[in-house]
Amino acid sequence: MTWDYFGWIVLASSLCWTAGALIAWKETSRPLAVGITASGILLFFLFIIGLWISLERPPLRTLGETRLWYSFFLPLVGLITYIRWNYRWILSFSTLMAIVFCVINLLKPEIHNKTLMPALQSPWFAPHVIVYMFAYAVLGAAFLVALYLLWKQKSKSTAIKYMELSDNLVYVGIAFLTIGMLFGAIWAKEAWGHYWSWDPKETWAAATWLGYLLYIHLRKHQPESHTAALGIVIFAFVLLQICWFGINYLPAAQGSSIHVYNM
Amino acid sequence: MEGAVICFGLFITGTILQLTVGSVNTILFQFPVNLIFAGIYWVCMLIMHLNKKRSAIIRWLSGMEASLTAIGAFLLMVLIMGLNRQTPVQSDIHPDGIVADIGFSQLTSSWSFLLIFLYMVTILLLTTLRKGLKFKIANIGFLLNHIGLSVVLWGAILGSGDMQRLHMVAQTGNPEWRASDTMGKISELPLAIQLEQFTIDEYPPKVMVIDNFTGVSLPNGKPEVLSMENDSLNGKLLDWQLTGSKYLPRAAWIQGRYISYQNEGATAALYVKAKNLKSGAKKEGWVSYGSFMFPHQALELDNGKSLVMPPCEPKRFASTVTVFTKEGKSIPATIEVNKPLKVNGWKIYLLGYDESRGRWSKTCTFELVKDPWLPVVYTGIVLMLAGAFHLFLFTKTRRKKI
Repeated sequence: MTWDYFGWIVLASSLCWTAGALIAWKETSRPLAVGITASGILLFFLFIIGLWISLERPPLRTLGETRLWYSFFLPLVGLITYIRWNYRWILSFSTLMAIVFCVINLLKPEIHNKTLMPALQSPWFAPHVIVYMFAYAVLGAAFLVALYLLWKQKSKSTAIKYMELSDNLVYVGIAFLTIGMLFGAIWAKEAWGHYWSWDPKETWAAATWLGYLLYIHLRKHQPESHTAALGIVIFAFVLLQICWFGINYLPAAQGSSIHVYNM
Repeated sequence: MEGAVICFGLFITGTILQLTVGSVNTILFQFPVNLIFAGIYWVCMLIMHLNKKRSAIIRWLSGMEASLTAIGAFLLMVLIMGLNRQTPVQSDIHPDGIVADIGFSQLTSSWSFLLIFLYMVTILLLTTLRKGLKFKIANIGFLLNHIGLSVVLWGAILGSGDMQRLHMVAQTGNPEWRASDTMGKISELPLAIQLEQFTIDEYPPKVMVIDNFTGVSLPNGKPEVLSMENDSLNGKLLDWQLTGSKYLPRAAWIQGRYISYQNEGATAALYVKAKNLKSGAKKEGWVSYGSFMFPHQALELDNGKSLVMPPCEPKRFASTVTVFTKEGKSIPATIEVNKPLKVNGWKIYLLGYDESRGRWSKTCTFELVKDPWLPVVYTGIVLMLAGAFHLFLFTKTRRKKI
C-alpha cells in the first residue's frame, strides 16, 4: 500500500466517520454509530500498516506521517469518549478535525521515502511517537470541548458536567503526555547520552506538560472558575502546537534542535 | 497572590545575583557537596513539615495555591527559554545585551531559573510530605506522581554536578586513554578505546536531475529522485526514461571508466542509459558520487541539465572497538548510534567520524558519560510511569447523557 492510495482511503474513511457522527448526533442507533465509525478507523489503520510495510520502516518520521497518526487517533479518541461517556456530539468534532488533518496531508504530502536515519532506529521510536500522537489527539478533543464551552453559555448543571468531560480528557491526555515524555527521556539517554538536554522540542514539551498541570491544579483549587480553567486548556493546546510543528518556524529554535527529521 | 509575589521576588533576587556574580557554576556542586546540601535541605524540609501546625506560612507552602504559582512561574521560565535562543554553556559565542546579561540566553545556568526551580521543588516536596506521611490508599495516584517527579528532579539536581561527559577521539590500531571535557580540559581515564573498524551501511543509491548552473535539484522546490531497487535502476525522472545497465557498489575511476575495486576510497558507480520521452534524444554514461579519492561523475543530459548521484543516505553507523581497562581486561565490542556500550559505570556513545573520509574513516569520536545518579532518575521515571497509568486507568467516569 503506497501513498498513492491515500486519497481513496481518506474518502472511504471520512464517509464512514461522517455517517457515524450523524447517526450518533441523531441518536438513531448507538451500536450502528460505533460500528460504522470503527470500520472507518480500521480501514485507516490498515492503510497505515500497509504504508509501514511498503516503506519498510514505521511511518513516523516526517511531520506528514505524524499527521497521519493524528487523523487516525482523533476518531479513535472520539469513539472511546463516545462509548465511555456517551456524548453524542463528540464524533462530529473528531471527524471534522480528522478530515482537516487528512486534507492537509493531501494538499501538502511530505516525501515518503524509505530511509530512516540511524538516530531513529530504536525500539523506542514507535512507542514514543505513537503515545505522543494519541495524547495530542485526546488533548485536541479537550481543546474542542473548551472552545464549545467558552462559546456557548450553559446552565450551571450542564457546565459542571462538561467540565467533568474536560477533566477526564485532560487527565487521559496528560497521562499519555507523561508516558511519551518519559519514553523519550529513556531513549534520549540511549541515543544522545543524557535524558534531558533542553533541546527546543524538549523545552516546548515541558511547557505543554506544565500548562496541563496548571489546569489540573487550578481545577482542584478553584473548581468553580470554569473560564480560567478552559482558558488554560486553550493556551496549553497552543503550546502543544508549537511543540509539535511550530518550532519549525520559531526563530529561536532554528537550527538548534536535533529533533528534526524532515528531509 | 502571595505566591505571585514570592515568585516575582525570587525572579528579582535571581536577576540581581546574575548581574553581580554571573551565572551559576555547577562544578562546585560535586560529591560530597551536593549530598551534604541535599541532606541539610531535606532535614530542613522535614523540620518545616513537622512544625506546620505552628506556622501558617509552612501550611501555605504545602497548599494548592503555592503549587499553582510555582508551576505557573516555572512555566514562564520555560517559555522564556523556548522563545529566546539559547547558547550552549560550553560554546565560544557569548551573546551580549541586556537579555543575555540577566541570564536569558543560558537560562538553565541563570540564578532566576535556579531559584524558581528550587521553589517549585520545595513546594513539591512539602506537598508530598503532607500527603505521604498520612498514607491512604486513595492517595496512591497522587503519591506515585508526586514522589516520582520529586525523585526524578532530585536525581537530576544531584547528577548535575557529578555527571561527567567526555569526548575521546580514538584511532585505528592505537588505544586512546585521554578524553577532554566540555571546557577542553584533557584527563586520563581508567579505560581506553582502540578503534578496530568503522563502517557505514548505506541505503541504495539514487539519481536526480540538477541544473548545471545553479546546482539546484529539479523540479525547483520539489525535487524528484529515482532510487535503485534490488541493485537496478529503472524508471522515469522528469522527461527521461532511465535504465541502469551496470552497477558497481564498490568502484574506482581508472582511465575514463569505472572498474570494480574493493579497497579504501571506493565509491559506487552506475552506468545509465537515458532516453528523453519527448524529444527521443538518447544519452548514456556513468554517474557516481565519488569519494575522498575519486571525483564525482555526472551525466550531461540537455539544456544545461545533468543526471547526478547524490551521496547515499546512511542506514547504520557502527564502530568495532576494543576497550581496555586499567585492570588489564580487553573487551571487544560494537558501538552503534542508539546502542551505547556500558563499561565500568561509563556509557560509551558513537558521536562522530572523519567525514572527509566517510566510511573509510580511521578515527571516531566517542562520548563517554558517567552519571552515578542515573539509577535514582530511573527509579523516579518508573514511579511516574506507574502514576501516569494510574491516572489513565482510574480517571473518574460518568455515563450520563448530555
